[in-house]
Formats: sequence, C-alpha cells, structure tokens
Amino acid sequence: MVQKLKNYIGGRWVESSAANYTPVHNPATCELLAECPDSPRVDVDKAVKAASAAYEEWRSTPLLNRAQYMFQLKTALEERFEELVAMVVKENGKTRDEARGEVRRGIESVDFATSVSSLMRGYKTEDISTGIDETAERQPLGVFAAITPFNFPLMVPLWFLPTAITCGNTFVLKPSPQTPISMQLLFEILDDLDLPEGVVNLVQGGKDSALAVMEHPDVIGVSFVGSTPVAKIVYETCAKHGKRVQAQGGAKNYIAVMPDANLEASVANIMGSAFGCAGQRCLAGSVVVAVGDAYEPLKRELLKRASGLRVGYGLAENTQMGTVISDQSRQRIEGMIQEGVNEGATPVLDGRGIKVEGYENGSFVGPTILDGVTPEMKVARDEIFGPVLSVMHVPDFESMVQVINQSRYGNAASIFTSSGKYAREFKYRIRAGNIGINVGVAAATASFPFGGQKESFFGDLHGQGQDAIEFYTDRKILIERWL
Amino acid sequence: MSSLNTFGAILTYAIALESRLRDYYTAAGNPERAAAAESRCTKLERVRRQNVVEITLEPIEGLDEANYALNLEDTSPEGQRAAAQIAARFYQDCAPKINAKEAQRALERCGRDHQEQV
Repeated sequence: MVQKLKNYIGGRWVESSAANYTPVHNPATCELLAECPDSPRVDVDKAVKAASAAYEEWRSTPLLNRAQYMFQLKTALEERFEELVAMVVKENGKTRDEARGEVRRGIESVDFATSVSSLMRGYKTEDISTGIDETAERQPLGVFAAITPFNFPLMVPLWFLPTAITCGNTFVLKPSPQTPISMQLLFEILDDLDLPEGVVNLVQGGKDSALAVMEHPDVIGVSFVGSTPVAKIVYETCAKHGKRVQAQGGAKNYIAVMPDANLEASVANIMGSAFGCAGQRCLAGSVVVAVGDAYEPLKRELLKRASGLRVGYGLAENTQMGTVISDQSRQRIEGMIQEGVNEGATPVLDGRGIKVEGYENGSFVGPTILDGVTPEMKVARDEIFGPVLSVMHVPDFESMVQVINQSRYGNAASIFTSSGKYAREFKYRIRAGNIGINVGVAAATASFPFGGQKESFFGDLHGQGQDAIEFYTDRKILIERWL
Repeated sequence: MSSLNTFGAILTYAIALESRLRDYYTAAGNPERAAAAESRCTKLERVRRQNVVEITLEPIEGLDEANYALNLEDTSPEGQRAAAQIAARFYQDCAPKINAKEAQRALERCGRDHQEQV
C-alpha cells in the first residue's frame, strides 16, 4: 500500500481534503514512493489559521528559548542525517554525496538561526531632541510561508523556516509535489521537538495550494524558489495581495576561462558546476566562455573528464551523476539539446538516450557538451536545468564581459584566472548576484544572502544572512520622553 | 575504473573497513584494538556527515577496494599486523585524494593509528 502523504497542521498530522493525489516516483527506479495530495484552499486556510492562532504565544516566547529549539533541531538532523540523505536521493535522483552536501547546507541554516538573538537587535539614540530618545526595535510580523522547489527538497525549506520562526514568526511550508517526502521527514523531526502547536505547518500540494498561500490575507510574506516564469507570478501575486516577497527565479550561469587559468584545477571545478546534481541547480554553470587561447585545451580537458563520469543510481556510493527529476524533464532537456544542434552547435559529448544497467527506465541524461555555441542560440539564452554545458569561444576579456552581461538572468557567474586584475574587473562589471573567482558554484553560505539579479530574483531582500533577518522582522520606532 | 571514486565511496568503505576490523579484533581477543576501531568508525561517520560540502565532483582516480582486501581468518599476531598494514596503506593512499582538509587530516590520523600497530 503506497503511503498517502498528510499535511501537518496545528501540531497534528491530518489528512488533506484533496480530491486528487500526485504520484511521487523515484526517478531512477520508477518505484512509486508516495502519493502527494493536491491540497485545496481549505487546507491552506486551516494551516494559516493554526499559524495565526499560535503567533502571539510564540512571539512572546523568550528569544533564547526559541533559539533552543534550533539547537535541538540541529541535533535531530545530525542523528537522522543518513536517513534524510537517502530520502533526498530516492525522491530527487541526485547522488549520495550531493544529498549529503544538501543536508549539510540545510543544517548550516539551522546553525545560523541559533544566532538570531544577536542579529535581530535594535538600536537606540539618546537625546534625538531635548530629553527625547529614539529606538528602533525589531519585531516579528506574523505568519510567513515558503513555496519551495524539487531540486533541493531539504535545503531550501531550511533556508527559510528556522530563521523565520526563531525571529518569532509562525510558518506554513508548501514544498514541491515532486519531492514532498523529505519535508514529511523534517516535520516528523519538528513534531518531536514539541514546538507549540501551529508554529510550523506543512501543506502538501501543487499550483492551487501555492496560489492559496499567496492570496491568503493572513500570510504576511512569502519566500519562493523556482523558475523565472513562476517567480514572476509569485512576485506579482504577492505584491497584489500586499505581502512581502522574495522570489528567486531561474538562471543561466556563465563561467569564463582565461588563458592564464590553472586548467586542470579549473576543469575539475567546472565539472562540479556543470554536472553536479545533473545540472539541476540554480547555480549550475551552464555556459563556459573560453577566452582566446584557453579554448582548445579547455575543450579537450572538459571532454576527457566529462566522458569519464559514472552515471547511475544515486544510492550507489560510486555514482558520480544521478538522474534528472522526471521523464518529462528528461524529454525537455533532450529536446533543448536537439534545438542547440539544429541551430548549429556541435554535440562533442551527447548524453541523450543513455541507458544505465538495471535502471533502464530511469530519467537519465548523460553529461552533454555542446561546442560552437553562440550568444543568440536558445541553448545560450534559456535555462536548460540539466547536465548540458555549452562552450563558447570569444577573442578577449571585453567580448566575454559583453556576452555574459547580455543574459537576461543574473544569478551567478564565475571566472577562472590567475590574474588579480581580470578577477577584479569581472567582479566589478558582471551583472550577477553571486560571483565566483576560481569557484564554479558560487553558493553563499548561510550567514550571507543568496544573491540574484535581473530575472533571477524578484524582490529586494534575499534569502539567508542578514537579509533573512530583515525579511522576517520589521522595525518599530519608539520615540520617548519622560515628563 | 576505480571503485572508490567519490568522497562518499571512500568514507563509506573506510567505515565498513573499521567495522570489520572491530569484529576481527574482538574475535582475536584484542578488546583494546576493537574499541579503537569502533572509535574510528564513529569519527569517520562524523567526517562523512560534516565535510562533504567542501568537495567538488572531481572524480577520484586510482583507488580500488580490491587492493585492500583483508584476511580476517588469521587472528594470529602476524595476521593482526598484516591487517593493520593493509589498513594503514589504504589510508595513506586515499588521504591525499580528498580535497577537504578536515577529512584528509582524519584519514591520515586513522592511517597513523594502524601504522603504530604494524
């Protein structure tokens, strides 16, 4: 009997009133793992009501006590680490090491939340006028919500939930219906912490649940991570309903390689960036721009390394690249490769149609390298979200900057060089929110905001770091005079 | 192709190795070494949990578990020395291939522990 997932509302596991359930498959084995309810508006309303009811008591719980729950959460996550890793692998398809990295990054966000007490302080100025003092205090705001994606089913929710509730807010989470089980495990852990009922709530579902969250009058703010078209909708819908919103969208991340780069180390790093998590990362390197003489040796080395990657089921420790999320996704990625070929790119390594022994029906796309890509091609402009690396060749640094800044996305960009001058110029001029210097995946750690510009981010306060504290609190100004 | 080709593959193999050595030393009537192996198991599990974000997808080459087969039938002092020698060699070979400093240090330390028994 396949498990029908439940919602977690007001401290209890409750059955959804959904009429429809979405099957959740293991993308490597095709095993049916669970059925995820398409929770309707009424379920979201119950969750928000529970969170609203819990808010006053929770916000008046001493901050240090709220932070203590985060220490307990960290301990519990460490204890169930490998179990969480295995579930991320099963429902997402990434490798064990990638899943370990994801769970570790999630725990780092919990670590960050334990420090909220020193980060949400206010400030005060005496004698702002005669005998008058002025203070800005940080206060929580109420019910926050997050709508999170399939590609990091455990880590992304942990970017938001721990900091939001430690700041004194209550929370409703709506994870991706493609990878809902990791969140069921997380909420089992949260349930064991004996948080007051209603502080954290889980609503499983798809588009309708997401819309209900965004339109609910009692939700103060929404954090979102997903594709750019949906991020735009989230931003517009939340703004229309008077909410705070941070909506992180898609990406097309460029990696520049200068002729003076350490080729071997650079390529090792680029491999992780392009093919890690089968390219399903908003920080994945998607286009490598070889500058001048870097082109030929870079292409040779990329091809050599990528050809040797072992593609397989993520639960096997020696698998170096797993599946993409679904067969539909596999078809879309393969279609985009074909479009690149039709537009004149050369598939020097073609991962289409790869078969993995024992997992013949799995959603595998092998590492793919398209050479001769030019800026106007679709594969250079649109997000592929798969293990496809496009190679471009430009004559000099200036051309490279121009090519990268043409992109409508601005999530991340990296340069590989041994020149401080080029590195500085790159950092200064490239319009992207996360910049890597000899680092292929420029992922902000939990105490820094996760950057993003242009169509990769809608909002003003980013997730993580001090931005998260700002997003989940407001400043109340107190002007006082004692007569 | 190397069978120990990822950070996780190496650490998981090391944990399994120490687990087998714990049982082996117990059978050999050497509780002190069994306890040391158990302690290394715990340490390596922590290393696997905590250090994975530092690694890249860079394939690891040249390590195959077939090169580190232990003869766990021979519990004589010579057999124990041979087992320690193989374990020490495994750690000496794999530590330089891991590009996370803390993990590398832990593996080197495990190698030294075994080397002292040779």
